[in-house]
Amino acid sequence: MARYLVRRLLLAALLVFVVASASLVLIWLTPGDYVTDSFGVHASAATAERTRAAYGLDRPLLIQYGSWLWRAVRFDFGRSLMYDRPVADLLPERAANSALLAVSALGLATLCGIPLGVLTGSRDSGVVSRLGRLLSIGFVSTPPLLGSLILVVLATRTGWVPVGGMYSAAGTAKRTADLLAHMIVPVLALALPLAAQFERLQSQSMRDTIALPFVTAAAARGVPWRRIVWRDAFRVSLKPVAAMYGIAVGSLLSGSFVVEMMTGWPGLGRLMFDALRSRDLYLAAGCAATGAIFLAIGTFFSDLALAALDPRTRE
Amino acid sequence: MRPVVFIAVITSITAIACSNSGPAAGVASQPASGGELIVATRAEPQSFNPIARRDATTALVSVLTHARLVRINAATQVLEPWLADSWTRSDDGLQYTLTLKPGLVFADGTPLTADDVVFSLSIAYARESEFSDALMVDDKPLKAEARDTRTVVITFPSAFSPGLRLLDSLPILPKHRLEAAVKEGRLESAWNVATPVSDMTGLGPFILTAYAPGDRLTFTRNPRYFRKDSAGGALPYLDRIVVEIIPDQDAQMLKLQAGQSDITTSEIRMEDYAQLKRAADAGTFQIVDAGMALDADALWINLAPGAFAGDPRRDWIQREELRRAISLAVDRKVFVDTVFLGAAVPVWGPITPANRRWYSDEVPHDPHDPGRARELLASIGLTDRNGDGLLDDPRGQPARLTILTLGGGTPIERGAFVVRDELKKIGLTIDVVPLESNALIHRFLSAKGYDAVYFHMQGSDTDPAMQPEFWRSTGNAHVWSLGQHTPPTEWERAIDDLMSRQVATFDEAERTRLFVEVQKIFAEHRPMIYFAAPRVFVGASRRVTNLTPSVLRPQLLWSADTIALTH
Repeated sequence: MARYLVRRLLLAALLVFVVASASLVLIWLTPGDYVTDSFGVHASAATAERTRAAYGLDRPLLIQYGSWLWRAVRFDFGRSLMYDRPVADLLPERAANSALLAVSALGLATLCGIPLGVLTGSRDSGVVSRLGRLLSIGFVSTPPLLGSLILVVLATRTGWVPVGGMYSAAGTAKRTADLLAHMIVPVLALALPLAAQFERLQSQSMRDTIALPFVTAAAARGVPWRRIVWRDAFRVSLKPVAAMYGIAVGSLLSGSFVVEMMTGWPGLGRLMFDALRSRDLYLAAGCAATGAIFLAIGTFFSDLALAALDPRTRE
Repeated sequence: MRPVVFIAVITSITAIACSNSGPAAGVASQPASGGELIVATRAEPQSFNPIARRDATTALVSVLTHARLVRINAATQVLEPWLADSWTRSDDGLQYTLTLKPGLVFADGTPLTADDVVFSLSIAYARESEFSDALMVDDKPLKAEARDTRTVVITFPSAFSPGLRLLDSLPILPKHRLEAAVKEGRLESAWNVATPVSDMTGLGPFILTAYAPGDRLTFTRNPRYFRKDSAGGALPYLDRIVVEIIPDQDAQMLKLQAGQSDITTSEIRMEDYAQLKRAADAGTFQIVDAGMALDADALWINLAPGAFAGDPRRDWIQREELRRAISLAVDRKVFVDTVFLGAAVPVWGPITPANRRWYSDEVPHDPHDPGRARELLASIGLTDRNGDGLLDDPRGQPARLTILTLGGGTPIERGAFVVRDELKKIGLTIDVVPLESNALIHRFLSAKGYDAVYFHMQGSDTDPAMQPEFWRSTGNAHVWSLGQHTPPTEWERAIDDLMSRQVATFDEAERTRLFVEVQKIFAEHRPMIYFAAPRVFVGASRRVTNLTPSVLRPQLLWSADTIALTH
């Protein structure tokens, strides 16, 4: 187990390093830089060049990369060009906001998608099964951008839930309730497509599991169908879904980009979008690295769940 | 969009545009005090230090929390005393002696003195940026000297006719709060977004009292604000302004319609106009007509000498005949209707009719004449040699050029495609390449590697003498021919000479005469080709009153101290 953990940690570190390096290189290769973005035509060429030199942006790519790498191994991820603050200071507050959204969305998707998948997978007919399948197909087909927009329109037109930010402008003593109310739209925007994917996968997996001989044998012995489904078949059918959790974290991260922009949620996705647009390369690399850390954590827990469900995978 | 709806939209926008002749609406006899205004903006501030960063939200924070010595009224474009009560100018025009209003104090209670003015000007030059460049005259800084606690002498390096208009962009900052950071070399990072709000102070109508990163900024009334309304009542009228950060414009408009925000800092997009007009007619909010834009999008061809060396098109692509043909071929009425749904006026130069002080009817306009355009193109060797309807150069190759423009479905991108389609009618083959803004600016700043650009050059002031970088042939905003050390053509030399004289004279009639000549030369040689100037509309909730809209950003909040709410 210790060897397994060390191996996973090393792989995670490699993933973070590759993602951060790749994002740095990609930004360097993209036309324009932070100075172009902030000055445009409103500064002389001499001023722009001197500013580039002050930021170290005029140095060769390898030198800049080497300098960043040397600092990064000492956990100094550079300074944001836009905000003139250490990247390491900017990331935690936003990462926490995005993590809150992602964990909530994952939890909601699990609570909704998996039981519904068990239901639709264990029954071919019935209104609930048919409705569940239909809804899932609809939500799976809806991209996060469209889903967010629909929810934002619904929320603003009805006024049932607030949209924009994490808390109300007016402020309230009931901050937790206010936060939960503001989370509804972005969490639903992320959770619904994911729940639909879980439902589809769980449903198919349940159908395959029910076809196995041990289920037939249990039914032949007179075990109640409900008990067979929820006690015996459910655990076996969870394997493919557990394996998907790692990918789900990845899709949550990419989906949160869009959802945060649409709903004004102050998370990592928005920070990264602004960093990329302004060519704030160290901040963008930091955001990408943080996203990679989330992904590594997600796949790690996914592997743990898989190992718990199927001891054979521990070998 | 169905044709009937399309026509209805154009008709309604045109009707509104014609009926509104100036600043809008909602003036109460005596506005009521109190209330909270909710504003939606698209990006978070990069800093609270207006010297260190110039992004839109940082500038908005500066407008709300700081004040200047003098202010250009964004609605009338007239220079007004602000912190300065009055001023005199020396006979040679080089020195201005300003007297500060009595009793001015920062929000923290510290009195404003002339030393703060001197300090603010000095730190404006401390960091090289577009901000410090904008405060230079002939590439030299201004000097400031405190004669006593309320008297400041500003010395210009050379005669500069716009005079104190230059100081409209300079917020007066508290020396007592920033001096230590300057001495320690920390000016750039002073007042960054992590700074506790209680560490900052200003002379503006509001105080920043809370910032939730990425979420919102909260401003409360500054009880020590120096202005009073016409009845002697305290300003600002509002108790609070909450600026919410909502990056997506669709979400902003939805919140405005739902009554969850009062003002947005983004203009209403033409494609949203019809839907928002219906909502406005239903009474949920109002569309405020800020007026005609002061500048317009423009097409320019790369005229830098040697830009097409080795390119077979060098014989015709930089010719004036080509530029004149383009201007004649594009039907500006079609342009107005297609890009701006009728809410724009045709223009032919960088000075639009909205700039009442400097616009001149004497500047000639090109009519829409595709036949004449074809003749001009034929005169430079571009004719249809193989009968396919497309023009070919003398080598038999299609007369083709690429226009780079701003992507993202913006009016700029639409405009580029309209130009392409109009030029196709006279046989020119145009490829439009939409790019992201940073990539686009990088391409044309390099002065090489592009044929033509269609883009928007935002002016900072209506006075042309405040835009030397655009008019001067060596200027960094002289985009059609960047990187020159001497005027590359005789007509640009002539403009340089006229503008030098225009900047140096204080005779307003002479300034007007000289600038009309500049505009005529510009119109004759067409280094940039303009098509239409749009009307600018912004949205506001019905409860917001006493608005004085401006086409310049922030369109409504530039006069935040007089905005009121109906209760």
